[in-house]
Amino acid sequence: MGESTPVRGANGRGAGSSGASPIPAVRMVEVTKRFPGVLANDAVSFEAAPGEVHALLGENGAGKTTLSNILTGLYRPDEGQIELFGEAVHFHSPRDALDAGICMVHQHFRLVEPFTVAENVVLGDHRSEGKSFFVHSPAIERRVAELGEQYGLGVHPRSRIWQLSVGEQQRVEILKALYREARILIMDEPTAVLTPQEAEALFVTLRAMAEEGKTVIFISHKLHEVTAVADRVTVLRGGRTVETVMASDATQRSLAALMVGREVDLGRSPERKQKPSGDVVLELDGVRVPGDRGGEALKGVALVLRSGEIVAVAGVAGNGQRELAETISGMRASSAGTIRVGARELHPGDPRDAIKAGVAHIPEDRLGTGLAPSLSISRNAAFKTYRTAPISWGPFLAVKRMAELARSLIKRYDVKAPGPETPARNLSGGNLQKLMLGREFHGDPKVLIAAQPTRGLDVGAIETVHGFLRDAASNGVAVLLISEDLDEILALADRVVVMYEGAIVGELDAASATVEELGYLMAGGEAR
Amino acid sequence: MIRLERRLDQPKWLSVAVPVGSLIAAFAIMAVILAVTGHAPGHTYRQMLEAGFTGNGAFSATLLSATPILFTGLAAAAAFRMQLFNIGAEGQLYLGAVGASWIALKLGDGDAGSTPLYVLAMCVAAGVMGALWALIPGVLRAFANTNEIITSLMLNYVAGFLITYLIFDSSSYWRDVSTLQAQSFPQGKPMPAGAEWPTFGSSVVVPLGFLIGLGVAASLWMLYSRTRFGFEVSVIADSPRAARYAGMRTRRKILAVMAISGGIAGIGGASQIGDFTHTLDPTGLQGAAFGYTGIVVAALARYNPFAVCLVAVLLGGLQNAGFTLQGPDFPSGLVGVMQGIILFCALGGELLIRYRVTISRRARARADTGSAAEPAR
Amino acid sequence: MSVNDSLVVVVLAQAVLYGTPLLYAALGELLAERSGVLNLGVEGMMLFGAAVGYWVTQSVHGADAPVLVLALVGAALSGAAMAAIHAFLTITLRASQIVSGLALTIFAGGLGLSAYFGAELDLASLPVTHQFASLDVLGLADLPVLGPILFDQSALVYASWVLTLLVAVYLGRTRWGLNVRAVGEAPASADAMGINVTRYRYIHVLVGGALAGIGGACFSLSIIPNWFAGDSLVNGAGWIAIALVIFAFWRPGICLVGAYLFGGLSALPSALQAHGVTIPPEFLYSLPYVMTIVVLVVVSTSLAKRRLGAPAALGIPYVREER
Repeated sequence: MGESTPVRGANGRGAGSSGASPIPAVRMVEVTKRFPGVLANDAVSFEAAPGEVHALLGENGAGKTTLSNILTGLYRPDEGQIELFGEAVHFHSPRDALDAGICMVHQHFRLVEPFTVAENVVLGDHRSEGKSFFVHSPAIERRVAELGEQYGLGVHPRSRIWQLSVGEQQRVEILKALYREARILIMDEPTAVLTPQEAEALFVTLRAMAEEGKTVIFISHKLHEVTAVADRVTVLRGGRTVETVMASDATQRSLAALMVGREVDLGRSPERKQKPSGDVVLELDGVRVPGDRGGEALKGVALVLRSGEIVAVAGVAGNGQRELAETISGMRASSAGTIRVGARELHPGDPRDAIKAGVAHIPEDRLGTGLAPSLSISRNAAFKTYRTAPISWGPFLAVKRMAELARSLIKRYDVKAPGPETPARNLSGGNLQKLMLGREFHGDPKVLIAAQPTRGLDVGAIETVHGFLRDAASNGVAVLLISEDLDEILALADRVVVMYEGAIVGELDAASATVEELGYLMAGGEAR
Repeated sequence: MIRLERRLDQPKWLSVAVPVGSLIAAFAIMAVILAVTGHAPGHTYRQMLEAGFTGNGAFSATLLSATPILFTGLAAAAAFRMQLFNIGAEGQLYLGAVGASWIALKLGDGDAGSTPLYVLAMCVAAGVMGALWALIPGVLRAFANTNEIITSLMLNYVAGFLITYLIFDSSSYWRDVSTLQAQSFPQGKPMPAGAEWPTFGSSVVVPLGFLIGLGVAASLWMLYSRTRFGFEVSVIADSPRAARYAGMRTRRKILAVMAISGGIAGIGGASQIGDFTHTLDPTGLQGAAFGYTGIVVAALARYNPFAVCLVAVLLGGLQNAGFTLQGPDFPSGLVGVMQGIILFCALGGELLIRYRVTISRRARARADTGSAAEPAR
Repeated sequence: MSVNDSLVVVVLAQAVLYGTPLLYAALGELLAERSGVLNLGVEGMMLFGAAVGYWVTQSVHGADAPVLVLALVGAALSGAAMAAIHAFLTITLRASQIVSGLALTIFAGGLGLSAYFGAELDLASLPVTHQFASLDVLGLADLPVLGPILFDQSALVYASWVLTLLVAVYLGRTRWGLNVRAVGEAPASADAMGINVTRYRYIHVLVGGALAGIGGACFSLSIIPNWFAGDSLVNGAGWIAIALVIFAFWRPGICLVGAYLFGGLSALPSALQAHGVTIPPEFLYSLPYVMTIVVLVVVSTSLAKRRLGAPAALGIPYVREER
C-alpha cells in the first residue's frame, strides 16, 4: 500500500462519477420513516456506486442521520426498499447490516469507553478472530496495528478509549470498519470534531478507501467539505430528496440553494462594528480546574471580556471548553485562580453566586442541564427567578405568575409550544434554545456564556440564535461564544481565543483571522 | 409487531384509568393463581370484600390497618418523589414507636398531662426519632454518595434488633418488669391511660392517627406543589445537573427530604402505640412489615399524597382481610403475593401512560403535528 | 483442645459456610448488573429458591446426591422464574428497575409467594430428609487450620469456587463476556455493533435469578437446614449480596473475599455464644448489617476517586428508536 497517493481532484474521482458501474452498491428507494410527531424521511431515494464517495448534504433535521440509521439496520423503515449490489435486503438488526458489509461512524461515537482499542474493534465480530469463544487479544492487536499503519490511522491497540483524544477515537471507529472489511462506510458529520488539517487527512483516507472500490457515504451540512471530497452529492431537505448532482458540476452556491431551498448569502457578514471598548465585565486570572479523569482540565486560564463584545473560544472538542463554561457559571469548582464579574469575585463552584453576579449560561447540553426534560415550560422558565418576588412570596410559589412569565417568554421569543404546561422534552431543539435564551435574557445578565448554541439546529433557528447573540452584545452584554464551528466563530466574534489542552494558546482578531491559522493553533501549533 | 412510541401528551384520564386497570388486571391474575392452587377465586374475593369493607365493623378495622401504611406510604412517596429511595420506613417507624412510648411513659411517670398533650408529645418525639434514623442514610448519601437503598434497608434490621433488645434482652425503661409473669415472658410497659389516642365516629370508627395522616398528606401536597422547596425537589428529581445549573443546593435537599420522610414514618410508629398496641411490641411491629407495604402504597399512588390516602385504605382492607381470614382457606403469604402482583401491574401500566403502544407494523403515526411538537434530539 | 476447635478456626470455617449463599447470590447479581440491569429482588428470589429447593427434597425420593441436584435445579429454575418477571418489566416494559426489584422482593419474599407456597404445601411441618453434608474430597479435612476451613465443606462450597472462576473467565476472557460488558457499559455501541442488547440482558438477569435461587437453597438445604415461614430464613442475605457487588467493584474474585468476610460476621454470634461470650446477641446480630453500611461508605468514597465505577448503563433502560 502507498504506491498511489490519492489526490482530491478530477483525476481522483472514482467509477461513480462516470456512472459506468451499472449496479449501485447502495440503492434506497422511496424510504419513509416516521417518529411520533415527525416525518423524518419522506420517500427518500438515492444510490451510490462502488468506489464512490457519495455525500448526503442537508441541514440539521433534513433526515440524513435517520436515513443512515435505516441503512445500518438501527431503524426499520416504515415504507420503501433497500438494495445492495442489486439485491433487495431487509435488515432486522444492525447485525444484518454489518454482515452485509455496511459500517457506520456515528456522529456520537459508538465506542465502549473502558475497553481497549482492540476490544472495541473486535466487539460484535463473529467472523474472523471474533469467532472463537475466547478472545485472543494478541492476534487482534496485531491486525489492528497493521490496519492502522496501512491507512495512516495510528493508534495504540491497547490504549483504552477514554485515554484517547476525540480525533483518535474517530480513527478507532474507522478501524472497526476496515477490520470488518466493510464494503460500504457511512461517515456522519465526521469533521465536527476535527481541526481543518485533521479533516484534510481524513479526506485522504476516505479517498484511499474509495480507490479500493469501497463506497463511502459522507454525511455533512458543510458545503466546502462536500465539494472537496465527494464524487456525487445527494441533497436532502425537510426529509425529502431534492436532487443528486455531480460534485464537479456543483458550486457551493448552487448546493446551498438546493439545501436551503432559496438563494443564500454565503459571505461573511460585512457590517462589522468598530471595536467595542466597554468596561471589563468578566476577568479570569490563572484559573485551574481538575479534570474528571485526573489531570487538569484548565491549566491557568486568563481571559478578559469587555461589555458589548463577542469573544469566541475555538478548539477541538475536549480541550477544556466545556470546563471553562462550567467553571465561570459556578457548576465546577476551580482549584486556583480568580474569576471576577465587574468588581465582584465569584465563589468557586457556586452557581447561585454566579447567577446573582449576572452570569447567564447556555449550556451545550440543553435538555438535562439547561432544562429539566419532564418539567413544564413554566417551571423551566422560572429556573433563575423562582427565588424572588414576584415568582415566589416567602417560601411559597406563585404558580399563576410562573405560568404568566412562561407565556410572555413564549410570545416574546417566538417559542413554538402548545402552552406553558407542555413538558420541555416535547420541544424541538430550536425552540428549546429560544426558551433558554429568553429565560437567560430575562434576568438582565452582564455576561452570557453560550456553549455550542447552534449545534443541531436548522438554518432558521441558527439565524435566530445568532441574532440574539448580536443583540445581546449591542445591549452591552459581554458574550463568550464557545463553538466548534469555525464559520460561526468568524461570522459572529470580535475576538477569537484558541484553547488547546486546557490552556489558551492564542488570540486573534476575528476580522483578520483565517480558518487555516485557527486550525493550526487548535492542533497545538505555536502562535505565529 | 409491537411498537412503542413516546406520547407527546399524556391525557389526564389515563392517570386514573391506568391504576384502576392495573388493579383489575392484578385481581384477574391473582384469580388464576388461586384457581391453580385449588381455591375458588370468587369465594375468596367475596370473603375478602366482606372482611375488609362491607362486614360488620370491617371498615373500622380496615381504617386501623390503613393508618400505619398511610404513614409509611407517605414517607415513601415523600422520598421517592426526589428519586431518593428511602426504603427504611420500616426501621424509622420502629424508632418512632420507641420515641413515642418513651415520652408517653415519662409523662405518665410524672402523672402530668391531658390527652392532647400526650398526642402532641408522642408525635414530636416519634417524628424526631424517625427523622434522625433516616438522616443516617441521608447524611451518607449527601456527603459520601453512598447508595441510600441499601443503607436504609440495612438499618431496618438494626432497628429491629434494637427494639428486640429493649424488650427481650435487657431491663430497659420500656420493659415491663412489674410482675413475675412479665419477667419470664418479656413484654413492654403498658402506656398510661392518657396516651390512648381518641377515636371518632360510631358506626365507622376513625382512629385519630388516620386523621393525622390525612393532615400530613395535605401538608405534603402543599409542600411539594406550592413551595420553592417542592419546586427544587422536582428539578433535582428530574435532572440533578439541571438543579446544579440553577444553583439549587442538592445536599441540603437530600437531608431535608430524608428527615421529612423518616419523620412521617416515625409518626406512624407513634400512631401504632397510641391507636393500637399501647405498648412497645417488637414482635408485632416486625411481623407487620408496614414499611415495605408503604412502598407498594406509594408506587401504586404514583407518589401523589392524596392518592396515597386512597390506596392505603384499599391495601389496609386487603391486610385486614388477610388478618381476619388467616387459615387454610386463606393461606398466609396471599396478601404479599397480591401486593406484589398489584405493584407489577401498576409498573406495567406505567408504560401505557408514557408510551403509545401500536400493534400493527403499518400503523400511521401522526406526522403533521408540526415543528412545535417535534421531540428534542 | 486441638487448634481446629479454636474459636478462630471455627469462625473461619463457618465464614465459608455462611458466605457461600452470599457468594452465589452476589455472582448472580454481578452478572445481571454487568449487563446493565439492577435487580433488587435478590432477597425475594433467594427466599423462593429456598422454599422450592426444600420442597423438591421432600417430594422426590432417592439417594441424597441426585435428589439434592434436582433440588438445586428446582431452586435455580424458581429463581430464574422470579427474575423473568423483573426482566420483562424492566427490559421490555422499561419500568423503573428500582421499584420493580422492590416489588419482586415483596412478591416473592417471606410475606409473599414463598410463604404462600410453603403454607400451601405445609413445608414447615416436614422434617429434613436430604441435606448437603461436608465432603472430605481430598482427605485433607484433618489438616490443621486449613482442613476445617477449606476441605471439610459441602459440595455447594466447592461448586461455588468453580463458579467464581468460571464467571471471572467468562467476563474477562470470552467473546460473550466482552459483549455483556459492552452491553452494560454502552448499550448503544453494543447495539450498533450487532449485539442483541435485549437478549443479553434477559439471559443475564435470568441467570442471576437462578444463582440467587441456589443461594437461597444453601440456607434451606445446608446451613439451617429446614424451612420456616417469614423473612428470617434468609434474613437480609440478598441485600448484603447486592452490597457485596458494589464492594467488589463488580469483580467476581473480590466477591468471594467479601462473601467470606460477611459470612464470618454472620457466623460470629453463635460461635461466640458457644464460647461463653456474654454480649447481648442483638449487637452481634447487627454486625453484618452495620458492617455492610460501613463498607459501602468506604467503597463509595473511594469509588469517586478511582475509575472503578458501576457499569455505566446500570439502571438505565435501553431504547433504540427514541429520539
